[in-house]
Amino acid sequence: MTSFISTQSITTSMRQSILQMQSDLAANETEVSTGNYADIGLSLGATSGEDVSLQAQTSMLQTLTNTNQTVATRLSATQTTLSGLQTSAQKLLNSLLEGDGSNSNASTIQASGQNDLQGLISSLNSSLNGDYTFAGTNTGTQPITDYYATGAANKTAVDNAYLTAFGMSQTSSGVSTISGANMQSFLDTQFASLFQGTNWSTNWSSASSQTLTNQISESQTASTSVSANNPAFQQLAQAYTMVADLGTQNLNSSAYQAVSSTAQSLLTSAISNLTDLQANVGMVQTDVTNANNQMSVQSNILSTQIGNLESVNTYEVSTRITDLQTQIEDSYALTSQLAQLSLVKFL
Amino acid sequence: MSLSSAASLAQSGLNTVTAEISVLSRNISGASDTSIYSEKTANVITGPGGASQVASITRATNQAVFQNLLGATSANATQSALLSGINTLNETIGNLSSSSSSSTTSSASSPSALLSNFTDALQSYEASPSDSTLAGAAVAAAVTLAQGLNSATATVNQVREQADSGIATSVQTINSLLTQFQTANAQIVNGTATGADVTNAQNTRDNILTQLAQQIGITTTTGANGNMSIYTDSGVTLFQGGAARNVTFSPTNSYTAATTGNAVYVDGVAVTGASASMPITSGTIAGLANLRDNVTVTYQAQLDGMAGALINTFAESDQTGSGPNLPGLFTTPGATSLPTSTTGLAGQISVNASVDPSQGGNALLLRDGGISGNSNYTYNTSGNTSYTTRLTRLLGNLSATQTFSAASGITTSASLSSYASASVGWLEGQYSNVSSQSTTQSTLLNTATTALSNATGVNLDNEMSKMLDLENSYSATAKLIQTIDTMFGTLITNLENLPA
Repeated sequence: MTSFISTQSITTSMRQSILQMQSDLAANETEVSTGNYADIGLSLGATSGEDVSLQAQTSMLQTLTNTNQTVATRLSATQTTLSGLQTSAQKLLNSLLEGDGSNSNASTIQASGQNDLQGLISSLNSSLNGDYTFAGTNTGTQPITDYYATGAANKTAVDNAYLTAFGMSQTSSGVSTISGANMQSFLDTQFASLFQGTNWSTNWSSASSQTLTNQISESQTASTSVSANNPAFQQLAQAYTMVADLGTQNLNSSAYQAVSSTAQSLLTSAISNLTDLQANVGMVQTDVTNANNQMSVQSNILSTQIGNLESVNTYEVSTRITDLQTQIEDSYALTSQLAQLSLVKFL
Repeated sequence: MSLSSAASLAQSGLNTVTAEISVLSRNISGASDTSIYSEKTANVITGPGGASQVASITRATNQAVFQNLLGATSANATQSALLSGINTLNETIGNLSSSSSSSTTSSASSPSALLSNFTDALQSYEASPSDSTLAGAAVAAAVTLAQGLNSATATVNQVREQADSGIATSVQTINSLLTQFQTANAQIVNGTATGADVTNAQNTRDNILTQLAQQIGITTTTGANGNMSIYTDSGVTLFQGGAARNVTFSPTNSYTAATTGNAVYVDGVAVTGASASMPITSGTIAGLANLRDNVTVTYQAQLDGMAGALINTFAESDQTGSGPNLPGLFTTPGATSLPTSTTGLAGQISVNASVDPSQGGNALLLRDGGISGNSNYTYNTSGNTSYTTRLTRLLGNLSATQTFSAASGITTSASLSSYASASVGWLEGQYSNVSSQSTTQSTLLNTATTALSNATGVNLDNEMSKMLDLENSYSATAKLIQTIDTMFGTLITNLENLPA
């Protein structure tokens, strides 16, 4: 039995193999130039879902890293403000302690109380990118009423309480007649209530007690702001107002003593609260940094995984291209030689 | 034996050689036929008295190889019909490469990538809820996502419409081929009965069969006098007893998610669709029907599942009473309540105009709620500009596990983003699978074609060498006639010279 091959199948097989090699060559060239599979979906098949999912995860990590920058900036601004407030509170406390209850430098104390109150108000009203940092979630409204603005509600409330209690205004020269016991009672009851509950939220603060919450990593959520309604700030405001605006410089020794000692205990407590706040903010800052580091590591792992899925070995592909080129050239040579191989040419 | 009988033998030899040359030239002209051409052979016999004659002309056949070719043709047609549809569906996914999707001008258009973009935008907005630019960006990403789902649905419907019209064309082709087949078959039956040369008709019939196999999987049987019957690969009669059966199909011009295409009927029996009692398994029609009735429907169910999950995830609940939940960010035009069925949602999903700045809405409603227009559904009642409770809840809902319809053929319980990824994985899995099947089938078809060509085709060199033989035999016969002529001449001259 002799083997038989038809003329058509000789030429067809040659044509088809050249076509196949040329399309392989084009795909391989794409792979070399991009470093990825020419058709990722075709190469990965059902694994494409994993690829897409990894990409989504990477971009989510990138987004969280970006939003963490906003969070970190806010936390760092908060931390700076808190530490500034703590320093000035400590300074006033020191001055009060040095005075040891004597009203000799009462006017200096009153002046620094005013400074500190202004400092507190402007610190709590600081803003970042148009958002008030200490406003809780109500970042669109300036949280603390400026005590020294005309007709300020908090100032009016203090004035009224003073007038009701002592029958005179703070600036009256008669304040020197207020007894230590009366002053102490005023400070502990009427005055103290001005800085608490609805009096605080009506006259002093429009901030929301709800602090900002941010997702700092895929699994972690953190409270990333401090509200002006925090007791530390209420105590500071109370202590500063007490020193600044109860006619301190004109008080007699025992009334001054009452103001000074109440302010001292408030400041001590406020400083301790501020320290707690700073520690909390510091912990969140650490959390954010850790989350960023962890996400960066995770991102690298994901990129490697995506690379493993999508990338080709360019050396291997280059070798394949060289092989294909040789094969195609051989095919051309063979085709032209086969064309010569016909009995017709020899008859 | 006389000189004259020698002369007549030589003459019959000349005739035989001429007839053989004629067959040979038919072979040479058929050598490069793109359709099937089987080598013809003139069968020469020596008759009583020693005269040679062409008794019959037959052609090379190999029934087994030919059947193999028919099967390979059908299987290849199935896969290539399916592949071209899935290629179009693949457009809904766009570029998968991470290097292009992470750049700012992303070319990734898959619902999965758009969902990821939207989630990122929402996440950014959650970090700075007072920023209306970021709110606008999140809503814009939502609009792109909704439009992505819309256009994916449009693509799916387009693929279904094309498949449907492809089936219609295919059915027309089958009916026309069956009519041609009837003619060729009749020629063969008559020719075989009368002993005529039917090789041309046989070639024609084989070619019709390969074209038919392209459209629909077939099997054949041959009866007396070469009378052939054709059945579909599922056993329904297409041609029997010299008569073609009717193949019918009524096309559907426009498809939506809820449309079910009509079945193809052969001789009154449904051969495609869910209700088919004898469903065909190969040929263009089988591929297109699978594409129209299964692949696209499943993919559409996945898109609809995503759209439904989006609408439900962003639904708003009554904050004051116990009113029903209403569509929020994502809705369908004119919707006054949450959809009860997901069918067709992907084609309709849109972003509520009241939250879309490009339609005069307020993007900040994304943070505050009340997108539905009813103030009872407002979450941020205090009006705080950095209210994040709603956004955080939305993000939580987005990543929460949801339940999806089993009709989608992928996981029924997953987060929306894993579901979207799974959908991409499913489609690319189909693509990769069908693509490799298609390559395999096309290789098999090439092999079958080559095998048939080698079994029955023409080799030019072979024909040329036969031609040399015939040429020699022709000149030998001619020489013989010349010699007989000379002998006759000599005889006559000798007769003239005889003394009277």
